[in-house]
Amino acid sequence: MIVCVAVVGHQNNPLYIQSFTDADDELKLHHIVHCSLDVVDERVNNPKKAAPTLNETFLGLLYPTENYKVYGYLTNTKVKFILVTTDLDVRDADVRNFFRRFHTAYVDAVSNPFHVPGKKITSKIFAERVSTIVKSFGTSAAG
Amino acid sequence: MNKHTDRFTDKKKRLHRDSGLNSDQNPGRSRQVAIMVREVSESCLETLLTEIVSSYCNGFYANKPELAARRIEAIGFQVGHQLSERYTMDRPRFTDHLDAIKFICKDFWSELFKKQIDNLKTNHRGTFVLQDNRFRWLAHMSVDLSAEASGSIQDPSAMADNKEAQATGMHLYFPCGIIRGALSNLGIQCAVSADISNLPACSFVVRIKA
Repeated sequence: MIVCVAVVGHQNNPLYIQSFTDADDELKLHHIVHCSLDVVDERVNNPKKAAPTLNETFLGLLYPTENYKVYGYLTNTKVKFILVTTDLDVRDADVRNFFRRFHTAYVDAVSNPFHVPGKKITSKIFAERVSTIVKSFGTSAAG
Repeated sequence: MNKHTDRFTDKKKRLHRDSGLNSDQNPGRSRQVAIMVREVSESCLETLLTEIVSSYCNGFYANKPELAARRIEAIGFQVGHQLSERYTMDRPRFTDHLDAIKFICKDFWSELFKKQIDNLKTNHRGTFVLQDNRFRWLAHMSVDLSAEASGSIQDPSAMADNKEAQATGMHLYFPCGIIRGALSNLGIQCAVSADISNLPACSFVVRIKA
């Protein structure tokens, strides 16, 4: 179950945060997303020499907290996508697939001529697409 | 921006390989999805670009060519910014500036103009010269070649030559803006200028701000 997705700009400014739980721990989720940015920076700036994933966009599991897993994805334009999920048995391929579709939705939202780069994404269509992707992530992981 | 001339009708579909799930498990049998690609008529695009230059130079900022140029370049900046977001989607990240410039020369330029940059020169100190031997957006512009040829010795009093070069030059602010916008989205601040001393070849000089 995905509880939160976030898009963070290249100056670590939030462009889109959406949580998908009914509980009011939104603040906690925002905090988790914020902390994960540090991990992203660390991964990017200190590449382990043995790791072949220096240039990959998908950063993988950033860090597991008590009951959440946080995944990261970094685009070429230094925009970060953060995914927070409560699933314990998430497949790597599922997350990659999710980020790919999320990236497509993001690119379409940013190509909107009325969107100001650096400001929050206010497109309702983007929000709908994201919730569709999130819902289908749940079902494909359960299968 | 996918463009095609009115004669080309073959590229109606682009096969898009679904690389995420299947290629990990079954590299031989990847799913292929046919996607209808939106197309734009090339003549329509060129008319639009010519009209942009014309309305800014003769309409909005008449007699103020520097302001018109800046405005057009800013439009190009936003377009390049958004396009680079789209065209860097499936690529691994760039390691350095040269990688990013090579991306502009190859993938980015082929998406925009269906060809790559013909020649790339650098002084290894932050300046790159991208030369396109037949710049698509200037290909249909008539230029008085006799005046250009005789003007190899720069004659500052030849106002006619100057005006023509200036008019043609106005059309280059948009592509310069596109390049600057694309590079800035990749994290590289730079200044881009164009050089049209031998049409239809066009050189774009990119100076990276250290």
